[in-house]
Amino acid sequence: MTHVPVTYKGGIYRHDEIIDLIEDLGGYIIQKHVIAQEVVLQALVPREDIELIRKIGKPLTGDVTPSPLVGTEIAVVTPSLEIHHLPHASCDVAEYIRRFGAKTNMVGLARGFGKRIAQLNDEERDVINEHDLAVYLLGDFEACIERKFPVLRRGIEVPIVLCGGPPTDALKKIVDPPVDGYVGGVGRFMHRTKESEEIGKLEEVVAEVTRVLDQRREDLARDPLSISPARFMDIIAENVEEIHEVLSPTPITVQMQGLRVKLPYDTFAPVIRKIVVDEGITIGDLATVSPSRMRDYILVRIKPFSETNIVL
Amino acid sequence: MEAVEYFEVECPEAAGREYYRKIADVVLLDHNLLRVIRKLHIFIDPKVPIFIATGVTRKLPGIVRVRDFADVNVKDTNVTISIGDEAYLAPLLRILWDKFGKERVNQPDRFTIVLSVGEGEGDIADLPVYDPSESIYKDLIYVLQVIQPEGFKVRRQYYGGNRFYLVASEDTLPEDIEDLVRQKFALMGVEV
Repeated sequence: MTHVPVTYKGGIYRHDEIIDLIEDLGGYIIQKHVIAQEVVLQALVPREDIELIRKIGKPLTGDVTPSPLVGTEIAVVTPSLEIHHLPHASCDVAEYIRRFGAKTNMVGLARGFGKRIAQLNDEERDVINEHDLAVYLLGDFEACIERKFPVLRRGIEVPIVLCGGPPTDALKKIVDPPVDGYVGGVGRFMHRTKESEEIGKLEEVVAEVTRVLDQRREDLARDPLSISPARFMDIIAENVEEIHEVLSPTPITVQMQGLRVKLPYDTFAPVIRKIVVDEGITIGDLATVSPSRMRDYILVRIKPFSETNIVL
Repeated sequence: MEAVEYFEVECPEAAGREYYRKIADVVLLDHNLLRVIRKLHIFIDPKVPIFIATGVTRKLPGIVRVRDFADVNVKDTNVTISIGDEAYLAPLLRILWDKFGKERVNQPDRFTIVLSVGEGEGDIADLPVYDPSESIYKDLIYVLQVIQPEGFKVRRQYYGGNRFYLVASEDTLPEDIEDLVRQKFALMGVEV
Protein backbone atom coordinates (compact mmCIF):
# COMPACT_ATOMS: atom_id res chain seq x y z
CA MET A 1 0.00 0.00 0.00
CA THR A 2 1.63 3.23 -1.11
CA HIS A 3 0.66 6.42 0.62
CA VAL A 4 0.17 9.65 -1.27
CA PRO A 5 0.37 13.09 0.39
CA VAL A 6 -2.85 15.06 -0.07
CA THR A 7 -4.64 18.08 1.34
CA TYR A 8 -8.36 17.88 2.10
CA LYS A 9 -10.21 21.17 2.30
CA GLY A 10 -13.83 21.27 3.30
CA GLY A 11 -16.51 22.54 5.60
CA ILE A 12 -16.27 21.91 9.32
CA TYR A 13 -19.67 20.18 9.34
CA ARG A 14 -19.23 16.38 9.64
CA HIS A 15 -15.51 16.64 8.96
CA ASP A 16 -14.88 14.03 11.65
CA GLU A 17 -16.37 11.50 9.23
CA ILE A 18 -13.58 12.27 6.78
CA ILE A 19 -10.98 11.88 9.54
CA ASP A 20 -12.47 8.52 10.50
CA LEU A 21 -12.55 7.47 6.86
CA ILE A 22 -8.90 8.32 6.29
CA GLU A 23 -7.90 6.49 9.46
CA ASP A 24 -10.04 3.44 8.58
CA LEU A 25 -8.47 3.29 5.14
CA GLY A 26 -5.06 3.09 6.78
CA GLY A 27 -4.07 6.68 6.12
CA TYR A 28 -2.53 9.18 8.53
CA ILE A 29 -3.58 12.70 9.43
CA ILE A 30 -0.40 14.71 9.66
CA GLN A 31 -1.93 18.06 10.51
CA LYS A 32 -5.41 19.47 11.04
CA HIS A 33 -6.26 23.16 10.84
CA VAL A 34 -9.64 24.57 11.67
CA ILE A 35 -10.01 28.03 10.19
CA ALA A 36 -13.41 29.55 10.95
CA GLN A 37 -15.88 27.36 9.03
CA GLU A 38 -13.22 25.47 7.11
CA VAL A 39 -11.10 22.46 7.86
CA VAL A 40 -7.78 21.75 6.21
CA LEU A 41 -6.38 18.26 6.67
CA GLN A 42 -2.93 17.30 5.55
CA ALA A 43 -2.80 13.57 5.27
CA LEU A 44 -1.09 10.57 3.79
CA VAL A 45 -3.69 8.32 2.19
CA PRO A 46 -3.54 5.08 0.17
CA ARG A 47 -3.28 5.94 -3.52
CA GLU A 48 -6.23 3.78 -4.58
CA ASP A 49 -8.60 5.38 -2.06
CA ILE A 50 -8.27 9.01 -3.11
CA GLU A 51 -11.34 8.78 -5.34
CA LEU A 52 -13.37 7.32 -2.48
CA ILE A 53 -12.41 10.18 -0.16
CA ARG A 54 -13.23 12.65 -2.91
CA LYS A 55 -16.65 11.03 -3.42
CA ILE A 56 -17.55 10.99 0.27
CA GLY A 57 -16.23 14.49 0.77
CA LYS A 58 -18.16 15.99 -2.13
CA PRO A 59 -21.51 16.50 -0.33
CA LEU A 60 -19.53 18.14 2.50
CA THR A 61 -18.02 20.61 0.00
CA GLY A 62 -14.71 18.83 0.43
CA ASP A 63 -11.92 18.85 -2.09
CA VAL A 64 -8.85 16.64 -2.26
CA THR A 65 -5.71 18.01 -3.88
CA PRO A 66 -2.27 16.42 -4.13
CA SER A 67 0.31 18.10 -1.86
CA PRO A 68 3.73 16.74 -2.68
CA LEU A 69 5.38 18.18 0.41
CA VAL A 70 3.14 16.79 3.18
CA GLY A 71 5.26 14.97 5.74
CA THR A 72 8.42 17.00 5.22
CA GLU A 73 10.06 19.63 7.36
CA ILE A 74 11.95 22.32 5.51
CA ALA A 75 14.32 25.00 6.80
CA VAL A 76 14.15 28.37 5.08
CA VAL A 77 17.55 29.86 5.79
CA THR A 78 18.07 33.59 5.44
CA PRO A 79 21.18 35.60 6.31
CA SER A 80 19.29 37.54 8.99
CA LEU A 81 15.85 38.39 10.25
CA GLU A 82 16.46 42.11 9.72
CA ILE A 83 14.23 44.39 7.70
CA HIS A 84 16.58 43.75 4.77
CA HIS A 85 15.36 40.16 4.52
CA LEU A 86 11.98 40.41 6.16
CA PRO A 87 9.10 40.33 5.76
CA HIS A 88 8.73 39.81 2.07
CA ALA A 89 11.43 37.66 0.55
CA SER A 90 11.76 35.07 3.32
CA CYS A 91 8.19 35.01 4.57
CA ASP A 92 6.65 34.76 1.13
CA VAL A 93 8.83 31.81 0.21
CA ALA A 94 8.29 30.07 3.56
CA GLU A 95 4.56 30.64 3.36
CA TYR A 96 4.29 29.47 -0.23
CA ILE A 97 6.11 26.22 0.46
CA ARG A 98 3.79 25.71 3.42
CA ARG A 99 0.79 25.80 1.09
CA PHE A 100 2.01 22.58 -0.47
CA GLY A 101 1.93 20.78 2.83
CA ALA A 102 5.47 21.16 4.11
CA LYS A 103 6.22 22.30 7.63
CA THR A 104 8.64 25.17 7.16
CA ASN A 105 10.81 26.73 9.81
CA MET A 106 12.57 30.01 9.25
CA VAL A 107 16.19 30.01 10.30
CA GLY A 108 17.55 33.54 10.58
CA LEU A 109 21.29 33.40 11.07
CA ALA A 110 22.83 35.46 13.82
CA ARG A 111 25.74 36.63 11.69
CA GLY A 112 24.82 35.57 8.19
CA PHE A 113 24.81 39.04 6.66
CA GLY A 114 27.60 40.72 4.74
CA LYS A 115 30.13 39.18 2.38
CA ARG A 116 33.43 38.73 4.20
CA ILE A 117 31.90 38.76 7.67
CA ALA A 118 29.20 36.09 7.13
CA GLN A 119 29.30 33.18 9.58
CA LEU A 120 27.32 30.10 10.53
CA ASN A 121 27.54 28.84 14.11
CA ASP A 122 27.29 25.28 15.33
CA GLU A 123 23.76 25.66 16.68
CA GLU A 124 22.48 26.99 13.38
CA ARG A 125 24.28 24.20 11.54
CA ASP A 126 22.77 21.50 13.75
CA VAL A 127 19.27 22.99 13.57
CA ILE A 128 19.42 23.10 9.76
CA ASN A 129 20.69 19.52 9.69
CA GLU A 130 17.59 18.40 11.61
CA HIS A 131 15.41 19.22 8.59
CA ASP A 132 14.73 17.31 5.39
CA LEU A 133 15.92 20.11 3.18
CA ALA A 134 17.27 23.63 3.46
CA VAL A 135 16.21 26.47 1.16
CA TYR A 136 18.88 29.17 1.20
CA LEU A 137 17.62 32.62 0.30
CA LEU A 138 20.60 34.77 -0.54
CA GLY A 139 21.01 38.21 -2.04
CA ASP A 140 21.25 39.84 -5.42
CA PHE A 141 24.97 39.87 -6.18
CA GLU A 142 26.99 37.05 -7.71
CA ALA A 143 30.23 38.25 -6.14
CA CYS A 144 28.61 38.10 -2.70
CA ILE A 145 27.03 34.66 -3.07
CA GLU A 146 30.24 33.22 -4.46
CA ARG A 147 32.16 34.41 -1.43
CA LYS A 148 29.73 33.72 1.39
CA PHE A 149 27.86 30.60 0.34
CA PRO A 150 30.79 28.20 1.04
CA VAL A 151 30.77 29.53 4.62
CA LEU A 152 27.02 29.21 5.05
CA ARG A 153 26.91 25.62 3.76
CA ARG A 154 29.81 24.33 5.82
CA GLY A 155 28.76 21.18 7.66
CA ILE A 156 25.25 21.08 6.17
CA GLU A 157 24.40 17.51 5.25
CA VAL A 158 20.80 17.88 4.09
CA PRO A 159 19.98 18.71 0.46
CA ILE A 160 20.19 22.42 -0.32
CA VAL A 161 18.10 24.48 -2.73
CA LEU A 162 19.86 27.77 -3.37
CA CYS A 163 17.83 30.84 -4.28
CA GLY A 164 19.39 34.13 -5.24
CA GLY A 165 19.00 37.20 -7.40
CA PRO A 166 21.30 36.23 -10.29
CA PRO A 167 19.90 33.96 -13.04
CA THR A 168 19.91 30.20 -12.41
CA ASP A 169 22.81 29.60 -14.81
CA ALA A 170 24.96 32.16 -13.03
CA LEU A 171 24.20 30.51 -9.68
CA LYS A 172 25.20 27.11 -11.04
CA LYS A 173 28.46 28.53 -12.29
CA ILE A 174 29.58 30.12 -9.02
CA VAL A 175 28.67 27.30 -6.63
CA ASP A 176 31.26 24.61 -6.22
CA PRO A 177 30.71 21.80 -5.30
CA PRO A 178 27.20 21.90 -6.75
CA VAL A 179 24.12 21.85 -4.52
CA ASP A 180 20.92 19.90 -5.21
CA GLY A 181 18.76 22.67 -6.59
CA TYR A 182 18.96 26.24 -7.85
CA VAL A 183 16.37 28.94 -8.40
CA GLY A 184 17.58 32.21 -9.86
CA GLY A 185 15.71 35.48 -9.82
CA VAL A 186 14.57 35.15 -6.21
CA GLY A 187 16.89 37.50 -4.39
CA ARG A 188 16.41 40.31 -1.96
CA PHE A 189 13.31 42.35 -2.69
CA MET A 190 11.26 44.67 -0.54
CA HIS A 191 7.68 44.18 -1.68
CA ARG A 192 4.95 41.56 -1.47
CA THR A 193 4.90 38.98 -4.24
CA LYS A 194 1.61 39.79 -5.88
CA GLU A 195 2.24 39.89 -9.62
CA SER A 196 1.81 36.69 -11.59
CA GLU A 197 5.45 36.76 -12.62
CA GLU A 198 6.58 36.79 -9.00
CA ILE A 199 4.13 34.08 -8.00
CA GLY A 200 5.58 32.12 -10.91
CA LYS A 201 8.98 32.42 -9.27
CA LEU A 202 7.60 31.02 -6.02
CA GLU A 203 6.09 28.16 -8.01
CA GLU A 204 9.57 27.53 -9.38
CA VAL A 205 10.97 27.32 -5.86
CA VAL A 206 8.29 24.79 -4.89
CA ALA A 207 8.90 22.78 -8.07
CA GLU A 208 12.62 22.67 -7.36
CA VAL A 209 12.06 21.67 -3.72
CA THR A 210 9.63 18.94 -4.81
CA ARG A 211 12.09 17.65 -7.40
CA VAL A 212 14.94 17.46 -4.90
CA LEU A 213 12.75 15.78 -2.27
CA ASP A 214 11.41 13.24 -4.81
CA GLN A 215 14.98 12.34 -5.59
CA ARG A 216 15.68 11.98 -1.91
CA ARG A 217 12.63 9.72 -1.51
CA GLU A 218 13.96 7.52 -4.31
CA ASP A 219 17.31 7.28 -2.57
CA LEU A 220 15.58 6.37 0.68
CA ALA A 221 13.49 3.72 -1.07
CA ARG A 222 16.65 1.76 -1.87
CA ASP A 223 17.11 1.09 1.81
CA PRO A 224 13.61 1.58 3.23
CA LEU A 225 12.95 2.78 6.75
CA SER A 226 12.00 0.19 9.35
CA ILE A 227 8.65 1.91 9.88
CA SER A 228 6.90 4.85 8.26
CA PRO A 229 7.26 8.14 10.19
CA ALA A 230 3.51 8.78 9.94
CA ARG A 231 2.75 5.47 11.62
CA PHE A 232 5.30 6.30 14.28
CA MET A 233 3.45 9.54 14.89
CA ASP A 234 0.19 7.67 15.48
CA ILE A 235 1.87 5.25 17.87
CA ILE A 236 3.42 8.04 19.93
CA ALA A 237 0.14 9.98 20.00
CA GLU A 238 -1.64 6.88 21.29
CA ASN A 239 0.89 6.07 23.98
CA VAL A 240 2.05 9.42 25.32
CA GLU A 241 -0.92 11.18 26.88
CA GLU A 242 0.93 14.48 27.45
CA ILE A 243 1.42 15.15 23.74
CA HIS A 244 -2.24 16.19 23.54
CA GLU A 245 -1.58 19.04 25.92
CA VAL A 246 1.14 20.58 23.75
CA LEU A 247 -0.20 23.76 22.18
CA SER A 248 2.09 24.04 19.17
CA PRO A 249 0.39 23.52 15.78
CA THR A 250 2.20 20.27 15.14
CA PRO A 251 3.04 18.64 18.50
CA ILE A 252 4.63 15.82 16.50
CA THR A 253 6.25 17.02 13.31
CA VAL A 254 6.61 14.36 10.65
CA GLN A 255 9.78 14.35 8.62
CA MET A 256 10.91 12.07 5.83
CA GLN A 257 13.16 10.00 8.07
CA GLY A 258 11.80 10.65 11.49
CA LEU A 259 9.87 12.88 13.82
CA ARG A 260 10.28 15.86 16.04
CA VAL A 261 8.35 15.36 19.27
CA LYS A 262 7.71 18.60 21.09
CA LEU A 263 8.09 17.32 24.65
CA PRO A 264 11.01 17.83 27.06
CA TYR A 265 13.78 15.36 26.32
CA ASP A 266 14.82 14.37 29.82
CA THR A 267 11.34 13.40 30.95
CA PHE A 268 9.94 11.80 27.84
CA ALA A 269 12.84 10.28 25.90
CA PRO A 270 12.93 7.14 28.13
CA VAL A 271 9.14 6.85 27.86
CA ILE A 272 9.22 7.05 24.07
CA ARG A 273 12.09 4.59 23.78
CA LYS A 274 10.11 2.00 25.71
CA ILE A 275 6.87 2.22 23.70
CA VAL A 276 6.07 -1.16 22.22
CA VAL A 277 5.39 -1.02 18.48
CA ASP A 278 4.85 -4.68 17.77
CA GLU A 279 5.41 -7.92 19.70
CA GLY A 280 8.63 -7.33 21.56
CA ILE A 281 9.79 -4.47 19.35
CA THR A 282 10.11 -1.04 20.95
CA ILE A 283 10.73 2.37 19.44
CA GLY A 284 14.23 2.22 20.88
CA ASP A 285 14.92 -0.78 18.61
CA LEU A 286 13.72 0.95 15.47
CA ALA A 287 14.97 4.47 15.95
CA THR A 288 17.48 6.67 17.70
CA VAL A 289 15.87 9.04 20.16
CA SER A 290 18.12 12.04 20.66
CA PRO A 291 17.80 15.59 21.98
CA SER A 292 16.98 18.17 19.34
CA ARG A 293 18.93 21.44 19.09
CA MET A 294 15.57 23.15 18.74
CA ARG A 295 14.42 24.08 22.25
CA ASP A 296 14.10 21.04 24.48
CA TYR A 297 12.48 18.84 21.86
CA ILE A 298 13.08 15.21 21.05
CA LEU A 299 14.35 14.12 17.67
CA VAL A 300 13.47 10.60 16.55
CA ARG A 301 15.45 9.25 13.62
CA ILE A 302 14.16 5.98 12.18
CA LYS A 303 16.83 3.43 11.33
CA PRO A 304 16.81 1.87 7.84
CA PHE A 305 16.05 -1.79 7.17
CA SER A 306 19.75 -2.57 6.67
CA GLU A 307 20.43 -1.71 10.32
CA THR A 308 17.45 -3.30 12.03
CA ASN A 309 16.40 -6.10 9.65
CA ILE A 310 12.81 -5.24 10.50
CA VAL A 311 10.16 -3.64 8.33
CA LEU A 312 6.79 -2.96 9.89
CA MET B 1 10.06 57.07 -9.75
CA GLU B 2 8.66 59.53 -12.32
CA ALA B 3 8.61 62.27 -9.72
CA VAL B 4 12.38 62.09 -9.36
CA GLU B 5 14.35 64.15 -11.88
CA TYR B 6 17.41 61.94 -11.94
CA PHE B 7 17.62 58.38 -10.69
CA GLU B 8 20.43 56.00 -11.55
CA VAL B 9 21.78 52.81 -10.05
CA GLU B 10 25.34 52.04 -11.02
CA CYS B 11 26.58 48.49 -10.50
CA PRO B 12 28.89 46.15 -12.39
CA GLU B 13 26.31 43.31 -12.17
CA ALA B 14 23.29 43.74 -14.41
CA ALA B 15 20.88 41.62 -12.37
CA GLY B 16 21.90 43.32 -9.14
CA ARG B 17 21.44 46.74 -10.72
CA GLU B 18 17.84 45.99 -11.68
CA TYR B 19 17.09 44.58 -8.21
CA TYR B 20 18.48 47.61 -6.45
CA ARG B 21 16.59 49.96 -8.74
CA LYS B 22 13.39 48.25 -7.70
CA ILE B 23 14.39 48.07 -4.02
CA ALA B 24 15.19 51.79 -3.88
CA ASP B 25 11.93 52.61 -5.63
CA VAL B 26 9.81 50.50 -3.29
CA VAL B 27 11.52 51.59 -0.08
CA LEU B 28 11.31 55.31 -0.93
CA LEU B 29 7.67 54.91 -1.87
CA ASP B 30 6.89 53.01 1.33
CA HIS B 31 8.45 55.76 3.44
CA ASN B 32 6.71 58.55 1.51
CA LEU B 33 9.99 60.14 0.51
CA LEU B 34 9.72 60.10 -3.27
CA ARG B 35 8.30 63.61 -3.25
CA VAL B 36 11.21 64.88 -1.22
CA ILE B 37 13.99 63.68 -3.52
CA ARG B 38 15.00 65.54 -6.66
CA LYS B 39 18.05 63.54 -7.68
CA LEU B 40 19.44 60.23 -6.49
CA HIS B 41 22.48 58.28 -7.60
CA ILE B 42 23.29 54.90 -6.10
CA PHE B 43 26.59 53.16 -6.69
CA ILE B 44 27.19 49.60 -5.54
CA ASP B 45 30.26 47.49 -6.13
CA PRO B 46 29.87 44.13 -4.35
CA LYS B 47 33.46 43.19 -5.16
CA VAL B 48 35.04 45.95 -3.05
CA PRO B 49 32.41 45.99 -1.35
CA ILE B 50 31.03 49.51 -1.21
CA PHE B 51 27.68 51.27 -1.33
CA ILE B 52 27.40 54.97 -2.09
CA ALA B 53 24.13 56.86 -2.28
CA THR B 54 24.20 60.55 -3.13
CA GLY B 55 21.23 62.80 -3.63
CA VAL B 56 19.66 66.21 -3.76
CA THR B 57 16.39 67.07 -2.07
CA ARG B 58 13.62 69.30 -3.33
CA LYS B 59 12.65 72.47 -1.53
CA LEU B 60 11.36 71.06 1.72
CA PRO B 61 7.90 71.97 3.00
CA GLY B 62 7.94 75.00 5.29
CA ILE B 63 7.50 75.23 9.02
CA VAL B 64 4.02 74.26 10.23
CA ARG B 65 2.34 77.04 12.23
CA VAL B 66 -0.78 76.93 14.37
CA ARG B 67 -2.97 78.58 11.72
CA ASP B 68 -2.07 75.78 9.24
CA PHE B 69 -3.98 73.18 11.17
CA ALA B 70 -6.28 75.01 13.61
CA ASP B 71 -8.74 77.90 13.92
CA VAL B 72 -7.80 80.52 16.50
CA ASN B 73 -10.49 82.73 18.11
CA VAL B 74 -9.39 85.53 20.40
CA LYS B 75 -11.95 86.97 22.84
CA ASP B 76 -10.50 89.40 25.39
CA THR B 77 -7.98 87.36 27.33
CA ASN B 78 -9.39 84.02 26.20
CA VAL B 79 -8.02 82.25 23.14
CA THR B 80 -9.91 79.23 21.77
CA ILE B 81 -8.02 76.92 19.43
CA SER B 82 -10.07 74.42 17.41
CA ILE B 83 -7.79 71.68 16.12
CA GLY B 84 -8.32 70.55 12.52
CA ASP B 85 -5.42 68.09 12.16
CA GLU B 86 -4.72 66.10 15.27
CA ALA B 87 -1.24 65.12 14.05
CA TYR B 88 0.22 68.35 15.43
CA LEU B 89 -1.79 68.45 18.66
CA ALA B 90 0.84 66.81 20.85
CA PRO B 91 3.73 69.12 19.87
CA LEU B 92 1.42 72.13 20.16
CA LEU B 93 0.35 71.22 23.67
CA ARG B 94 3.94 70.79 24.74
CA ILE B 95 4.83 74.24 23.41
CA LEU B 96 1.83 75.85 25.09
CA TRP B 97 2.57 74.19 28.42
CA ASP B 98 6.13 75.44 28.27
CA LYS B 99 5.07 78.93 27.32
CA PHE B 100 2.01 79.50 29.52
CA GLY B 101 2.20 76.79 32.17
CA LYS B 102 -0.23 73.91 32.55
CA GLU B 103 -2.68 75.84 34.73
CA ARG B 104 -3.46 78.35 31.95
CA VAL B 105 -3.92 75.70 29.21
CA ASN B 106 -7.33 74.04 29.28
CA GLN B 107 -8.40 71.23 27.04
CA PRO B 108 -12.17 70.72 27.51
CA ASP B 109 -12.33 68.13 24.75
CA ARG B 110 -10.03 66.39 22.28
CA PHE B 111 -10.20 69.07 19.59
CA THR B 112 -10.38 72.24 21.64
CA ILE B 113 -7.81 74.15 23.66
CA VAL B 114 -8.76 77.17 25.72
CA LEU B 115 -5.97 79.51 26.79
CA SER B 116 -6.05 82.50 29.08
CA VAL B 117 -3.42 84.92 27.86
CA GLY B 118 -2.07 88.20 29.10
CA GLU B 119 -1.54 91.47 27.20
CA GLY B 120 0.37 91.08 23.92
CA GLU B 121 0.39 87.32 24.14
CA GLY B 122 -2.59 86.74 21.84
CA ASP B 123 -0.57 86.07 18.68
CA ILE B 124 -0.97 82.31 18.83
CA ALA B 125 -1.81 81.76 15.15
CA ASP B 126 1.75 82.38 13.99
CA LEU B 127 3.38 80.14 16.56
CA PRO B 128 5.73 77.65 14.85
CA VAL B 129 4.87 74.09 15.87
CA TYR B 130 6.78 71.65 13.73
CA ASP B 131 9.74 71.81 11.35
CA PRO B 132 9.53 68.95 8.82
CA SER B 133 13.09 69.35 7.56
CA GLU B 134 14.43 68.20 10.93
CA SER B 135 12.98 64.74 10.59
CA ILE B 136 13.13 64.40 6.83
CA TYR B 137 16.90 64.13 6.73
CA LYS B 138 16.83 61.58 9.51
CA ASP B 139 14.21 59.61 7.58
CA LEU B 140 16.29 59.86 4.41
CA ILE B 141 19.37 58.44 6.05
CA TYR B 142 17.29 55.69 7.66
CA VAL B 143 15.79 54.79 4.29
CA LEU B 144 19.22 54.63 2.67
CA GLN B 145 20.30 52.25 5.43
CA VAL B 146 17.36 50.03 4.56
CA ILE B 147 18.22 50.14 0.86
CA GLN B 148 21.92 49.35 1.32
CA PRO B 149 22.98 45.69 1.35
CA GLU B 150 22.85 44.31 4.86
CA GLY B 151 25.97 43.87 6.91
CA PHE B 152 27.64 47.09 5.80
CA LYS B 153 28.36 48.27 9.30
CA VAL B 154 31.03 50.88 8.51
CA ARG B 155 29.14 53.98 7.49
CA ARG B 156 29.62 57.65 6.84
CA GLN B 157 26.68 59.94 6.29
CA TYR B 158 26.07 63.61 5.70
CA TYR B 159 23.11 65.86 5.13
CA GLY B 160 22.49 69.54 4.87
CA GLY B 161 22.11 72.28 2.30
CA ASN B 162 19.75 70.24 0.14
CA ARG B 163 22.30 67.44 -0.22
CA PHE B 164 22.83 64.12 1.44
CA TYR B 165 25.01 61.11 1.06
CA LEU B 166 25.59 57.77 2.70
CA VAL B 167 28.64 55.59 2.20
CA ALA B 168 28.72 52.10 3.63
CA SER B 169 30.96 49.07 3.53
CA GLU B 170 31.81 46.08 5.66
CA ASP B 171 35.51 46.97 5.52
CA THR B 172 37.26 50.20 6.46
CA LEU B 173 36.23 52.92 4.04
CA PRO B 174 38.90 53.84 1.46
CA GLU B 175 40.80 57.07 2.07
CA ASP B 176 39.68 58.68 -1.16
CA ILE B 177 36.02 58.21 -0.26
CA GLU B 178 35.24 61.93 -0.47
CA ASP B 179 36.62 62.10 -4.00
CA LEU B 180 34.35 59.20 -4.92
CA VAL B 181 31.35 60.96 -3.40
CA ARG B 182 32.27 64.13 -5.29
CA GLN B 183 32.43 62.13 -8.54
CA LYS B 184 28.98 60.70 -7.93
CA PHE B 185 27.57 64.15 -7.25
CA ALA B 186 29.25 65.39 -10.47
CA LEU B 187 27.40 62.66 -12.43
CA MET B 188 24.15 64.31 -11.37
CA GLY B 189 25.50 67.70 -12.34
CA VAL B 190 25.95 68.88 -8.77
CA GLU B 191 29.07 70.66 -7.59
CA VAL B 192 30.18 69.95 -4.05
